[in-house]
Amino acid sequence: MARSAVPPAASHRPSRRKAAPAAPAAERSEEQTDQLGERSVELSRYFGGKIETVPKVPVSSLADFALWYTPGVAAVSRAIQADPDRAFELTGRWNTIAIVTDGSRVLGLGEIGPEAALPVMEGKALLFKVLGGVDAIPVPIRTRSPDEFISTVEAMAPAFGGINLEDIASPKCFGILERLAKRLPIPVWHDDQLGTAAATVAGLLNALELTHRSVREVRTVLLGAGAANLVTARLLLALGHSPQKLTLVDQKGILHAERDDLDELELRNPWKYRIALTTNGGGRTGDLMAAVKGADVLLAASTPNPDTVRPEHVRAMAKGPIVFALANPVPEIWPEVARSAGAAVVATGRSDFPNQVNNSLIFPAVFRGVLDARARAIPDEVVLAAAKELARGAKRKGLTTEHLLPTMEEPEVFPEIAAAVGDTAVRLGIARRKLSHDEFLERARTLMGRPAQLVRALARARLTPPMPRAGPRRRRPR
Amino acid sequence: MSANKGGAGRTSAPTDQSTVPIRLRPAKESDLPALVPLLLRLKRLNEEFDPLLKVREDAEQQARQILKSDIPNPKSVVLVAEGTGADRDKVVGFVRANVRERPFYAPVDEGVILDIYLLPLYRRRGVGEHVLAETSAALKAKGAGIVTAEFPAQNEIASRFYTKRGFRPIIAIQARSL
Repeated sequence: MARSAVPPAASHRPSRRKAAPAAPAAERSEEQTDQLGERSVELSRYFGGKIETVPKVPVSSLADFALWYTPGVAAVSRAIQADPDRAFELTGRWNTIAIVTDGSRVLGLGEIGPEAALPVMEGKALLFKVLGGVDAIPVPIRTRSPDEFISTVEAMAPAFGGINLEDIASPKCFGILERLAKRLPIPVWHDDQLGTAAATVAGLLNALELTHRSVREVRTVLLGAGAANLVTARLLLALGHSPQKLTLVDQKGILHAERDDLDELELRNPWKYRIALTTNGGGRTGDLMAAVKGADVLLAASTPNPDTVRPEHVRAMAKGPIVFALANPVPEIWPEVARSAGAAVVATGRSDFPNQVNNSLIFPAVFRGVLDARARAIPDEVVLAAAKELARGAKRKGLTTEHLLPTMEEPEVFPEIAAAVGDTAVRLGIARRKLSHDEFLERARTLMGRPAQLVRALARARLTPPMPRAGPRRRRPR
Repeated sequence: MSANKGGAGRTSAPTDQSTVPIRLRPAKESDLPALVPLLLRLKRLNEEFDPLLKVREDAEQQARQILKSDIPNPKSVVLVAEGTGADRDKVVGFVRANVRERPFYAPVDEGVILDIYLLPLYRRRGVGEHVLAETSAALKAKGAGIVTAEFPAQNEIASRFYTKRGFRPIIAIQARSL
């Protein structure tokens, strides 16, 4: 899945599967990734990581600490003791979240453990700050079971206004998110489920509009039944998509109620089991080809291999179909191949093709919105509000088959999403602070704009050193 | 030891036959092609609970043979669940139970539910309840004074299902590899 503001190659190890012969982009991407990787290690060493904490109050002498710390601070503590929600007003809790991972499924690297997950979490924290104005603390934890993970996060929740779960293996991520969301009085988000699904739904809504289709009428095939697509399916159903006209396909073929792994799924992945029981009307069975026949939409979030979806799959679909090939770094089908097979609209997870379905279009703004509303949760209505606002945002520059979604270069959309999220939280009665739409918008613009000023100011003052030149020994051999 | 109950729903509503989406009838030998795969699904599900329930290579032949001998056996109850409406005549599940004699305990005749399996779409909505009631009645008609159910110890769904309906553990089977 797309998940960064930088080219996706930087955040995903390329697939070592066979490269498609007609795919120079794949080779380019591999080579580029290796170069970026070396540089990233070099810079990480040079800067000693990517984030640090910075005071937000004036400190002119040690005497100030009588206010910021003891004895003055005791009164602040007592105020919060009397009303714990005042922590959102008297401390940085209102704008601070934890990025929590157990390191069980980091990028495309698999189970690499909490220490190795830290640089990724630091990168995410940087994105949260730069894009959303959110103070995010990386917290990779060593836990052995979902129960232990949940109780650990629950124990740390008093410090935070929200929890961003990151890089947790499917299907355990579903149970962890569900149970934490139920227990904690603050929003809990798992980007691999919600962020990707929301961005996908936003792109799809616009693709449907462009091709004069309605979500209530289309037949849709979801290829891949991991974290993202299971949530995409749930969101589509919430938007009125007919479950009968929705078909999921995974490595074992069409997911249907009589597939012989259903009993195992009931035990190990009840989320997928439930989808299997409710979708695929008419009881289609077989492979991807059997699924896509006559379908209007194919949403692929599966394995990075350009042969996963073939031109004949696209040709078997309804006229002018919509094809999203979201695997990173290599999409399930190259956009030009999909288009020449008849696809009317194509999206990928990559920034070097048009229509990038990118988590970063969603998560900073969602957190800006829920934090500004001091929301207690992020129900699907909030996720859908963000998706719809993102879709609306693309129309400002004009909706075309090449401009389905705003790019990261259209940041004016993000405060609008944050405001839509805040409005929805207020409407649902889960906001601790009920601002008006304009207040949410103004606040989001200010807070989301501030980090850029901060970064510039630090650079001007030389407090952040400039980028060192790239590895001279390698670049300029003598 | 074989046995148990594959996913028959978690309902506690009393059986109202008009809403139960299945119909039960005694199995015939001609049902074998439909029943064998269902029995195998159940045994494969059991394997998920414990490696000591690893399904044998020849499980399919075994399934056919056991069903074939139980269907006409007066000491056995084999019922077939068929769908209703559009699924009429489609075999969607089954139950297999035996009446056996307890040499030391009274009541002497024990009706043992060995296998219950229903396809996922035919679970809940009172289906399990209905199957259990019909099977118990058939076992009672064959003289059983007690009904028992065998299933993997780790199958919590089955355990909850029976406990809710007044069953309690009376014998434990523990195992280890040799």
